[in-house]
Amino acid sequence: MLKIENLHVKLEDENREILKGLSLTVKPGEVHAIMGPNGSGKSTLSYVLAGREGYEVTEGSVTYNGEDMLALEPHQRAAKGLFLAFQYPIEIPGVQTMQFLKVAINAQRKARGEKELSIPEFMRFVKERAAKLNISQDMLKRPVNVGFSGGEKKRAEILQMAVLEPSLCVLDETDSGLDIDALKVVSDGVNALRSPERAMIVITHYQRLLEHIVPDFVHVLSGGRIVKSGGKELALELEANGYADYAEKAA
Amino acid sequence: MTTALAKTSAEEALGISLPHRRMEEWRWTDLRARLAKPYAPIESAAKASDIDRLLSTSPFAKLVRHRVVFVNGKFDAGRSKLVGPDFSATVASRHTVEDPLIAMNTSLKPDGVTLRFAGQTAELVEIVHVAVATVQAMAIRNRIEVADGASASVIETFVGEGDYVVNAVTEISVGKGAKLDRLKIEREAAVATHLSHVIYDLGENAKLNDITLTNGSTLNRQNGTCNFHGQYAEAKISGAYLLKGKQHADTALVINHAVPHCVSRELFKIVLDENARGIFQGKVVVARDAQKTDGKQSSHALLLSEYAEFDAKPELEIYADDVVCGHGATAGDINHDHMFYLKSRGIPEAEAKSLLIAAFVGEVFDLVADEAAQAALVEIAAEWLVKT
Repeated sequence: MLKIENLHVKLEDENREILKGLSLTVKPGEVHAIMGPNGSGKSTLSYVLAGREGYEVTEGSVTYNGEDMLALEPHQRAAKGLFLAFQYPIEIPGVQTMQFLKVAINAQRKARGEKELSIPEFMRFVKERAAKLNISQDMLKRPVNVGFSGGEKKRAEILQMAVLEPSLCVLDETDSGLDIDALKVVSDGVNALRSPERAMIVITHYQRLLEHIVPDFVHVLSGGRIVKSGGKELALELEANGYADYAEKAA
Repeated sequence: MTTALAKTSAEEALGISLPHRRMEEWRWTDLRARLAKPYAPIESAAKASDIDRLLSTSPFAKLVRHRVVFVNGKFDAGRSKLVGPDFSATVASRHTVEDPLIAMNTSLKPDGVTLRFAGQTAELVEIVHVAVATVQAMAIRNRIEVADGASASVIETFVGEGDYVVNAVTEISVGKGAKLDRLKIEREAAVATHLSHVIYDLGENAKLNDITLTNGSTLNRQNGTCNFHGQYAEAKISGAYLLKGKQHADTALVINHAVPHCVSRELFKIVLDENARGIFQGKVVVARDAQKTDGKQSSHALLLSEYAEFDAKPELEIYADDVVCGHGATAGDINHDHMFYLKSRGIPEAEAKSLLIAAFVGEVFDLVADEAAQAALVEIAAEWLVKT
């Protein structure tokens, strides 16, 4: 499904390489956790997958269902099924959340040659999913993420994910800024979306999130590449020993 | 010492002197250079079919029952329809503001109407100005009076085809405890020049909500003078520009806080594409006795091209010592983080950009009280964006 091979990435305006030969293969239905210390390249990986400007791929490839993903614009990647849940969701004043969701879902359907949803169909579709995530009608009427608390922003990201039904979800530090109750709501929302067709990459600094979203594989990212892979028990090991061992290896 | 400037062809034809760039408030708008043709106050006959077609392009054509129609600067009784407010088809000027545009308007012998509102008028009244002309100058002077305790909602719409200059002076009086919602839509012909001056006189506890959309003409200069005559009045004067090509629009507003406890709010959202230029000059004068004045002014420009230019000149003249006054001006291009977020959700570049521009000017449209009128503005913006 997703195949990242020997990916090297540097910042466009600095001569600093951040990813230094990262390889990762994700198959449908799998949940991969990527853990690593600050500055290891976790967020860069998520932005490069989503196609944010400012990064330059100097070597390697990313293919998604056999297609060169790096050649696509961000909106095309989304229409192909990629979804990035942002660590810091962006506030967009003046654009109502409901309108944003409608434009997004219909743009994706159009790109895939599907029929656009009618307004009643769309409303029903969103309301069902919003209710499960404790998202009120009032929140849906407000501008995208504007004035939302940290927890509300993360729930809104998961709602977008539930509405857009991607085939590959990348969750970038979804647990940051969440208290234990909010973490549970968000994790339940994510778990409800697990399916044999849908893959997930869960990027996190802490093992805490992985108690709720239990991964099939855990990878340690350090110094811009994956230095160790294992099962979910690897996360516990990291929790006990920290990242110190791996930081040395990378250096 | 002043040196007399040689008369331009327009000045000769109009028999007046136009403001020149050595005047501080005209430094960005060179009317003498821009009015390069001998625009004369002659009357030209417009074809009925052209007039009716243009009338139907007003975004409020289907929305309003009450309509005052002007054709090439002349009141058109046949096309007007007004059953509500006290109405007279006469020019009734009562202001004392000195200004070159008003002087020009006077010398052009304007036609105009006076609308008097008593009681609560919920229905929209539209004054439509249609121009179909060639190298013509036209002047209009309307007066809107809202009696003490009354309320009204008035739209002034300008549409046209051809090459002409419109000079429109509007005098507004809002009585004690009265309320006026006014909306102005400037969609003149592409090569036309639109000049205007609006004078607002507000009584005690009066409420004014005034919104202007500037979208047409190649050259636009809109002056405004707002005078508070009684305490506890509130004036909200806002505007949106949607400009491209070589369009030039310059708004110069003066708010005179002469009495205590009044509130003024100015909000201008300016969208400029290609080589367009937008200017906002806002002056707030707070007299020594006007304590507890609350005045805020902000102008924000969204520059869609590196050739677009925005100039802002806020001026505060405060003689009282217990006031809250502030101003702010910003200019920037589309926010890249916003764009990436929208695109990451599958929204293509052009659509994402439209969404963000609409949201930017939407802050001004949100101030329009009448929902149908607000929807009409949103539609104008959407249509403009499609062509951009």
